[in-house]
Amino acid sequence: MYHDFNKKRLVVLFFTLMLMVINVAAQDNPIVLRFTLWIPVDSPRGELFAEIAEEFSAANAGVSIQYDYIPFADYTTTLPLQLSGSNPPDAGWLTENVAPTWVQSGILADLSASLLADEAYDFADLAPSAMELWRSGDPIFGVPFSTSPFLLIYNRDLFEAVGVDAPDVMIENGAYTWENLAVALKTIREEAGVAGLQSFNGGLYSGERVWHTVIPLVRAYGGDAWDADNTCTLNSPESVAGLQVFHDMIFTDRSIEAPGEVVDFYTGSAAVLMGQLSGVGPLAEASFDWDIAPLPDGAAGRASVVGQAAFVVFNNSPNRDTAIEFVKFLTNKENTLRIARYFPPIRVSVLETDVLLTANPTIAAKSMKAAVIDATLSGRVLPSHRNFPTIDLTSRAYWDQLWSPDADVQLVMDEMCAAIQPLLSK
Amino acid sequence: MSAFTNAQHQQKKYYRTSRLTLKERDSLFGYLFVSPMLIGFILTVLVPLGMVFYYSFQTRNMLAQTWSYAGLDNYAKLLGGDPIFSKVLGNTLIFTAGLVPLNVILALVLAVLLNRLMHGSTLFRVLFFAPVVTSAAAWAIVWRFVLQGENGTLNSILGMAGIEGPNWLRDPNWAMFSVIFTRVLKNVGLNMIILLAALQSIPREYEEAAQVDGATVWGRFINITVPLLGPTLLLTTVLTVVGSLKVFDHIVLMTNGGPANSTMVLVNYVYFQAFKVFDTGYASALAMILFVLALGATVIQWQLRKRFIYNEV
Repeated sequence: MYHDFNKKRLVVLFFTLMLMVINVAAQDNPIVLRFTLWIPVDSPRGELFAEIAEEFSAANAGVSIQYDYIPFADYTTTLPLQLSGSNPPDAGWLTENVAPTWVQSGILADLSASLLADEAYDFADLAPSAMELWRSGDPIFGVPFSTSPFLLIYNRDLFEAVGVDAPDVMIENGAYTWENLAVALKTIREEAGVAGLQSFNGGLYSGERVWHTVIPLVRAYGGDAWDADNTCTLNSPESVAGLQVFHDMIFTDRSIEAPGEVVDFYTGSAAVLMGQLSGVGPLAEASFDWDIAPLPDGAAGRASVVGQAAFVVFNNSPNRDTAIEFVKFLTNKENTLRIARYFPPIRVSVLETDVLLTANPTIAAKSMKAAVIDATLSGRVLPSHRNFPTIDLTSRAYWDQLWSPDADVQLVMDEMCAAIQPLLSK
Repeated sequence: MSAFTNAQHQQKKYYRTSRLTLKERDSLFGYLFVSPMLIGFILTVLVPLGMVFYYSFQTRNMLAQTWSYAGLDNYAKLLGGDPIFSKVLGNTLIFTAGLVPLNVILALVLAVLLNRLMHGSTLFRVLFFAPVVTSAAAWAIVWRFVLQGENGTLNSILGMAGIEGPNWLRDPNWAMFSVIFTRVLKNVGLNMIILLAALQSIPREYEEAAQVDGATVWGRFINITVPLLGPTLLLTTVLTVVGSLKVFDHIVLMTNGGPANSTMVLVNYVYFQAFKVFDTGYASALAMILFVLALGATVIQWQLRKRFIYNEV
C-alpha cells in the first residue's frame, strides 16, 4: 500500500515535469519585455499602450510586453534599484531632467543602428532640437514621445471680473508681454484679493520647480542659465534683466505668489498657473472659465521652453535588441499619431496635422495652436548638465537669497555663478 | 499501569538516542525560539549595515552599476571638502538639540498634568495623542497654512496683539524653529503616553509619606516623581534622540530643506546623494556618520543612567 502510493506520486510527478518541458519547448523561449512607466496601466492612456503592445506581439511571435507602473514621485528612485536587481526592466520612460545623468552613466542602450537603418521609420522627421538631450555624438539613447511646452493656464473669470485684458485678448492686440501681464495680475491681486501667478506647479519656493519657473523669464529677456561651453550666464545683463522683472513681480507688484504663501490655482486662489498641458486635467469640471496661453514675450521676444519624456532601452536588458525594436515600433509614424492624442509628439509631420488641434475637446484649437504646437516647434528644453542634481542643490541657497524683498539681483547672481561654476566645469 | 510503563519505556528510548545533556537541550530550544527574530535581525539590520560600511570605502555609482575601491576618500571628502555636509551636520545637531529637550520636558509636564483624574483629562489625553496618529502629510499641509507669512493664522493672531510675525517657514532665522516646533507638537503625545503609564505605576504611598513629612509639591516632583520615572525618561529620551536624528518626511513636507538649505538634515542629504546623484559610496559614508551619531548619543545616555537612575532593576 505504502509503496503503491509512492509509485503513484512518482508517476504524477514525472508527467507533470514532462508537460512543463513540452510546454516550454512549444513556446520557443518566449520573451517578456518589462517596460516601466508612470501612468497607471488601466487609465485610457495606459490602454492605448496596451493596444500597441498587443499589435507588436502579434507581429513578433513569442514576444509579449509587460507594463510595470511606478508612481511618478518614486520613479527615478525605484528604477535604478530595479535595474541593479536580478530582474531588471528592459525598457521604459525617462524625463528630460535626468537625461544627462542617465546618458552619461552608460545604462542606456544605443538605438541608432536600428533607427537609422530603417527608411520607413524616417528618423529625419523627429525634430532635431527635441533630440539634443538624447544624443551624445552619434549614439541615440532615447526617443522623446512627449514634448510638453510650458504654458500658462488662466482663470478668465478673474481677469474679466476686474476688467483687465486676459492673455488671449493681449495676444490679439499684440501686447502679450511679461510686463503687461504683471500689470493685469497686480490689478487682480489688489481688487480681487487673490494671488496673480502661481509658480510652475506651485513648486518655486520648495526648490522643486525653481528652474522651471525662472528660466522662461530669463530666456524671454535673452539670457540663460549657462551657455554651450558650460559657463554660468545667470549673472549676464540679459539674465539679470529677466530675473529683475520676476523679482519686481513678487515683491513690488505682488503679482506672483509670495514666499511661504499657500495658493492653489485650481480652487481659484490664483489667477494664472504656470504648468504644462497635463495641468488642465483637473479643470474638466472647474467652476470657472479657463483657457491656456503660451509664455508671454520678454525683451528678446518669445522663448518657448519644453519638458520631455522619452522611451529608452536599458543596456543590461537580456532582450535588448527586441526592446529596441519595440521602442522603434512605439515611435513609428503610425503610433506617434495615436500617442499624440495624449502627448504632444516630436515628429514634425504629426505636429503639422490637425490631430493635436482637436486632441482635447475642452481647449479651443486656436489656444492649442499657440500654446502647444507652435511652442513645441520652437521650444528648447531646460538647461541640463550631468552634475545637475548637485548644481541644483548648491543653487538653492542663492535662489532663496533672491526671494527676499531687498535682494540685489546682480549681486546674488554673481555669487550664484561663483558657486556653481566649479560644478559646471567638472 | 500499562500506559505508565509505555511512557517510561519511551522516555528511556529517548534518553538513549539523545546525545545532548539537559542543559544543552535547553539552550538549543532557547536558540530555536529566538532564531526567527535573530535571522530577521541579521538579514534586515546587520547585513545591510555591514554592506553600508563596506560601500562607504568605495566609489560606487548605483545607476551606472560601477564601483571601485576608494579607501578613505569618501570620509576625506565629507570631512574636508563638502560645504553642504558641514551645513547639514550643523542643522542635524541643532534640530536634535532643540527638539529633544522641548519634546521630553513638554511630554513630562503634560503627563503630570493629565495624570490626575480630573474632569476632561481623558479628552485632553486623546487630543494630545491624536497628532501622533495623524498622517505627516496632512499635518504639514495644515501647518503650512498656519505659518504663512502674510495670511497665516498665527500671524493674524499675533497681528491682533500688535506683533508683526515673521514668515515662519521662509525666514532662515525662523524656519528651523518652526520645523522643530511643529514636529514636537506632532510627536509629544507618544512620549506623554509612555510617561503617563509610568506615572500611574508609581505607588501613591511614596508621595503621601513625603506629604506627611511636609515636602512641597515641587520637592515631591523633583525628589520622588522624577527619580522614579528615571528609566522611562531614559527610554523616551533615547527614542526621541534617535528619532530626531532620523527625521526625514517632516522636513521634506514642511520646507524641503529650505530656505537656503537651512533646514536640510543629514537624512535628506543621504537621500539626495543616493537617489539624485546616485553616489552610493558617498551616501554610505554619510549614513555611517549618522549611525555613529545615533550610536554615540545612545551610548552616552546609557552611561549617564548610572548617575541618574537609582532603581534600575
